Amino acid sequence: MNNALAQYGVLLGLAVGTVGLVLSLYAAARALGRARRESGKDVPATSGRLARDPVWVRYHARYYGYALLFLAFDMEMAYMYPWAVVYKQEGLVALLDMGVFLAILFLGLLYGWSQGALRRQ
Amino acid sequence: MRIAVVLGFLFAGAYLVAVLEARLATGRLRLAAPGWAAMALLGRESVVPRQPDRLFFETAPALLLIAALLAAAVLPLAPGLFITNLATGALFVNAALAYVLVALLMAGWGPDGAYALIGGWRFLGQLIAYSMLIVMPITAVAMRAESLLTTDIVASQTGLWNILYQPLGFVLFFIAAMGVAFLPPFDLPSAEGELAGGVTSEYTGVRLAVFRLGRLVLVITLSAATVVFYLGGWLGPVLPPWAWSAVKILAVSATMLLIGHYLPRIREAHLLAWCWKLGIPLALLNIFIVGVMVLVWP
Repeated sequence: MNNALAQYGVLLGLAVGTVGLVLSLYAAARALGRARRESGKDVPATSGRLARDPVWVRYHARYYGYALLFLAFDMEMAYMYPWAVVYKQEGLVALLDMGVFLAILFLGLLYGWSQGALRRQ
Repeated sequence: MRIAVVLGFLFAGAYLVAVLEARLATGRLRLAAPGWAAMALLGRESVVPRQPDRLFFETAPALLLIAALLAAAVLPLAPGLFITNLATGALFVNAALAYVLVALLMAGWGPDGAYALIGGWRFLGQLIAYSMLIVMPITAVAMRAESLLTTDIVASQTGLWNILYQPLGFVLFFIAAMGVAFLPPFDLPSAEGELAGGVTSEYTGVRLAVFRLGRLVLVITLSAATVVFYLGGWLGPVLPPWAWSAVKILAVSATMLLIGHYLPRIREAHLLAWCWKLGIPLALLNIFIVGVMVLVWP
């Protein structure tokens, strides 16, 4: 328990240290000079002409059919990891249990496919 | 000390990946080129576009680097040579790699640029395509090792490496790993030709340097993950364990870069279709085959 906490502490330290590295790089760049303010320089890349509309408009996520199926599969994977660890000692029972579960999920995928979920909407 | 050595390995690996990438782009092998390029980026102006979402814009490059480093932190290079040895290591790799998506979405949304925004949303679609092909093959690896400890996973491959024990899983994981690192032909979010750099298009100077560093470390991290899960980690004759890890990781990175060099960029709709109609059924089949094999012939 203590050991696990210490390991997460190390990971937190790694993240904080990385932020420190990035900030010190920014500081080094700032010490070399700042960006000169010139008109038109801060316009986002738009191939030479300004965007007509603000770009934060709704982007049509044409993969939403996949995205809904993805939610089901992603939840299912949360069950798979503990199962995978004890799989060998549980033996055939574990294979059948998860086999049924995965078969149902796979049928769901086939059903979604047949209803046209797996295409660019 | 141990942590410093691993980080040194990672950054040295990232440097060599940059050398290789430059070799493929320019046709010339110059060992000093990434160093000069980094210094040049440091000296250049780092322009902030008008009306950005400042929080997202500033967070994205650092978050990409952090995500790559955290995922690498649980991957061992040799017995005893790791940053941490989490009991849930194989799961933690997934958790850390999920933040690659967050970083790229932030980089897409933050600068309020059309190309960047499209790149960011595209990567969300890419995640939906590759994500299952990362987690499902790792499950099959954990089934054989009976553990999520990455060191146990390497130890479980002593007799036979997973690339031979579950070749199907290796192929799926390898392709998906290239998708995570948005290497060509899966460089949809940063497509140079069609999106003018996509998520990276609004980054300049030191921010671009950090972004590129994060991407290079990410390539090394995913190569290391491939080596730990499928290529027997540090296992190998004659050479010391850390040398085997280094050689294998660089070989995997070089293979990824070379494959991408000769393939055209895939369309997002095609990537999604291939991953869901072929990749996921194959990944489920892989879990089933490994499940039977673990019981019959461990």
